[in-house]
Amino acid sequence: MGKRVLIVDDDPDIITFVVTVLEENGYTPLIAKNGEEGIAKTVEESPDLIILDLLMPKQSGIKIYRELKGDESLKKIPVIVLSGIARRTFLRSHEALTEFGGQPVPEPEAYIEKPVEPEKLAETIKELIIE
Amino acid sequence: MSKLLLIDDEKAIVRVLSVSLKSDGYDVVTAYGGEEGLDVFRRESPDIVLTDIKMPGMDGIEVLKRIKDLDPDTEVIIITGHGDMHLAIDALQLGASDFINKPVADEVLAITLKRAEERLLIRQKLREYTETLENMVRIATEEVRRKSEFQDKLITSSNDGIVATDKKGEVIIFNPGAEKIFGYFRREVIRKMNIYDLYPPELAGEFQQGLKQGKIVKGTDWKEVMITAKDGKSLPTRFSGALLYEKNMVVGSVGFFRDLREIKHLQQELIKAERLAAIGQTVTGLAHYIKNILSGLKGGSYVVNVGLDKNDIDKLKTGWAMVERNVGRVSELVLDLLTYSRERGPELRNCFPNEIADDVCELMEARASQNEIEIIKELAPSIGEVNMGADAVHRVLLNLVSNAVDACISDLSVDKEWQVRVNTALEGDDMLKFEVIDNGCGMSEEIRKNLFTSFFSTKGGKGTGLGLLVTHKLVEEHGGTIDITSQLGKGSAFIIRLPYSKATH
Repeated sequence: MGKRVLIVDDDPDIITFVVTVLEENGYTPLIAKNGEEGIAKTVEESPDLIILDLLMPKQSGIKIYRELKGDESLKKIPVIVLSGIARRTFLRSHEALTEFGGQPVPEPEAYIEKPVEPEKLAETIKELIIE
Repeated sequence: MSKLLLIDDEKAIVRVLSVSLKSDGYDVVTAYGGEEGLDVFRRESPDIVLTDIKMPGMDGIEVLKRIKDLDPDTEVIIITGHGDMHLAIDALQLGASDFINKPVADEVLAITLKRAEERLLIRQKLREYTETLENMVRIATEEVRRKSEFQDKLITSSNDGIVATDKKGEVIIFNPGAEKIFGYFRREVIRKMNIYDLYPPELAGEFQQGLKQGKIVKGTDWKEVMITAKDGKSLPTRFSGALLYEKNMVVGSVGFFRDLREIKHLQQELIKAERLAAIGQTVTGLAHYIKNILSGLKGGSYVVNVGLDKNDIDKLKTGWAMVERNVGRVSELVLDLLTYSRERGPELRNCFPNEIADDVCELMEARASQNEIEIIKELAPSIGEVNMGADAVHRVLLNLVSNAVDACISDLSVDKEWQVRVNTALEGDDMLKFEVIDNGCGMSEEIRKNLFTSFFSTKGGKGTGLGLLVTHKLVEEHGGTIDITSQLGKGSAFIIRLPYSKATH
């Protein structure tokens, strides 16, 4: 059984795509269709890696990210942010949130802007999962 | 006690009288002739002068005249001898206060002096009273002057233009603020212009009537009025005015004008800035949306490739569906953009509105059932073939039903049976009603207000913000209306009314 990777995204196309990439590279995909489900699955399954979208209706990925990285037991799981938002924009709002009373949260282990080449995604996953 | 000057050429009399007067408590100075008497008078300024009438050199009459010249308030009492009655009368006419006959009896002298003292006292009191009165008048005048100066300053330094008229409507106050707004100089206006020359006609009429009828009229609240300046340009001002009353009688009017040019200018800047921000938002939103489509296309082609490599038909099908779906999204987007940017009326043709509704529901069925949403149709069978903008109806319904499905998907409540209802009905004989009602996430008041104002999407990167703008535009072009009710957490209802005519053959 391969390492387990959780994908949190509300776009079914992205899910299909990432799931295929994961399967092709010998990982076991786990799926969450929104932020809440993402947190629940993380606690339940403690995956080896999380691939997180930022813009989802209702619960924003930025909030989910800060929740994950603010939790003692969850924060060691590496996170790849996969988003249409520019990395710069994300980091700016990330800093702003930290400044306005949020606890300091580390930057994500990797940040990939959409659209992503499957090879690039596979490579990044490989780098972050410690065998 | 008063100071008293005693003048007589008979030294014995002077001595006797002065002793007796001193013992009565008077401060007595003496002189033995007219000339000397005047010198002493100048030096000592006595209150009462007692002088003999017949003296060698300057006589009593002359002394009296001189003393009255020097100080008319001095009490001068003449001492007359027997048979000097005509002189005594002259003396009284020249201002002597009293006369007393020789030989001087002590009691008579005492009474005469007492009367003189009383007169002095009364005069003193009168003087004091007059002085106080004058003082009070001076203080009051000063106060009035200060107040009026203060009011003058207030009027002069006010940034508002202040225009006051008298009862006839003639301008009597025109402050520098008013000069700035109207462009006239004070001297061109004061007493030369009328309320009609400055106020907008309607307002001028109102005030003129108030002035004429003298009725008590309440001051106006601030309102925006356009005034015409000297150069003929119209400018926006905020105006407030009132009639002025004195004891319930109209005495004039006053108007306050506030220049709104700067504020208007800032407002326009703000609108421009908002527009720019909206364009920026649109471009960002669109770019994001296109990135998502691109992701879908790339992802799709990758999945197709994997399917081809492994001869996996399922993967091939999934990947191809992704590609197709995202190609569909591109064409939708292009269609929306074109519809939004182009000005054109609806293309009217014969159609069956219920069939259009059916078709839209069928298109959305797959997505709805995937997300456990039921689409319920209630289409009035009385609606047959009509003539209307069929493409617009299709596009509008598709947008609304798609939004309704999204609203159900976005709804995070548990144990809800999501439904999207699509209803059609006839209203009168020229109006069709379409309703799209969902029990999804609903909208806050703020979102509802923003629906048609700008490119505004609540769907994260999954929406362009174009859908409702396009819907709104199509409905408007078709001469119809959109009504929306929504409750956060309960769902939304969109009601479209579109006019139609009978099918042509």
